[in-house]
Amino acid sequence: MTKGVLLYCFDTPEVSYSTITDRCISLIQRNLNLPVTVITDADTKGRIKSNCATRVIDVEKSNTKLTKPWYNLERHLAFDHSPYDRTAVMDVDYFCYSDKILRLLQSDNDFLVHKSAHEVLNMKEMRYDREAMLDLVWATVLIFDKTPRTRAIFDTVKLVKENYAHYCNLYRITYKNFRNDYAFAIALNQINGHREYDVIPDSIATVRADAEIIELKHNGAVIKYKDKIISLQDQDLHFLNKDIANV
Amino acid sequence: MNIDQLKEISKQSYDASLQKANALKKAESDQILVYNNRIFCADAETICFVRTVSEGRSSFFMLDRNSNPVEITDPTEFLDLLLQRNQSALNTYHQLYQNIKNRKV
Repeated sequence: MTKGVLLYCFDTPEVSYSTITDRCISLIQRNLNLPVTVITDADTKGRIKSNCATRVIDVEKSNTKLTKPWYNLERHLAFDHSPYDRTAVMDVDYFCYSDKILRLLQSDNDFLVHKSAHEVLNMKEMRYDREAMLDLVWATVLIFDKTPRTRAIFDTVKLVKENYAHYCNLYRITYKNFRNDYAFAIALNQINGHREYDVIPDSIATVRADAEIIELKHNGAVIKYKDKIISLQDQDLHFLNKDIANV
Repeated sequence: MNIDQLKEISKQSYDASLQKANALKKAESDQILVYNNRIFCADAETICFVRTVSEGRSSFFMLDRNSNPVEITDPTEFLDLLLQRNQSALNTYHQLYQNIKNRKV
């Protein structure tokens, strides 16, 4: 069975995701030692310097986040894009400072996702249970096998994406821009018969968007927020602050 | 002590508490163990359960972290792996905790 990591990377006018992707890949190679395939567009491809497989697609550029371009509409195609039997799809701003994903890939759960995340600067759980009628999942990391059931999950995400306004009404989701976290939460809810499903048992350590990244090291990061400075090492981190491209 | 000194102590305590909470979250992630293709947490509860239930048994059943049943056919090996991962995670947590404590002092 082949195993590998699938990343989506599309530079925007504001953010050099290719720079972030290079950092992400160097950590994957260091801590997971897995092959990496990057799904990208023609413009971005030349800016990715890492040793990895790439596949160029025409990216759908209609979504925004806080009025800025947000190219996040391809994740539902991961089943078709992945060349691996067992795949870890990650956001490029999820930095693997540990081997946790490698351990999880050893399980035989055909689909895994995190259901909880916390902010490292205040240790509060990031909860959205008042903003929808279903539990959010974090599509930051997805682990999946290619099975008929996981195909059904991705097909449902596609269906949700195409009818997102309807599903927002149905589940009373207040956030109206397309968001993979909700799309996968809806798909998992539906495909699992509106019952519980298997999840990754820990919480994603998340660095908030307005935190300042002082230093990125080979084994962790130094982060500043207001007058607080913390140093985190050997634990996976999800950076919401896209300035990591410039650190 | 004046109010500024008291505020500084309070700030240092908050920072130490934040670092400790992050270190504990890291320890929880480090305790994730996949055995027989199922996900477990190498925490004290799991270790105690495995040690207790494996006494006098060559195999037994338990639940993984997602409440799926698993048959453990080599309790000794499983317990060894749980202890290794637990102690590795807590050793790191202990080191981080000592660093935090020393900085606070």
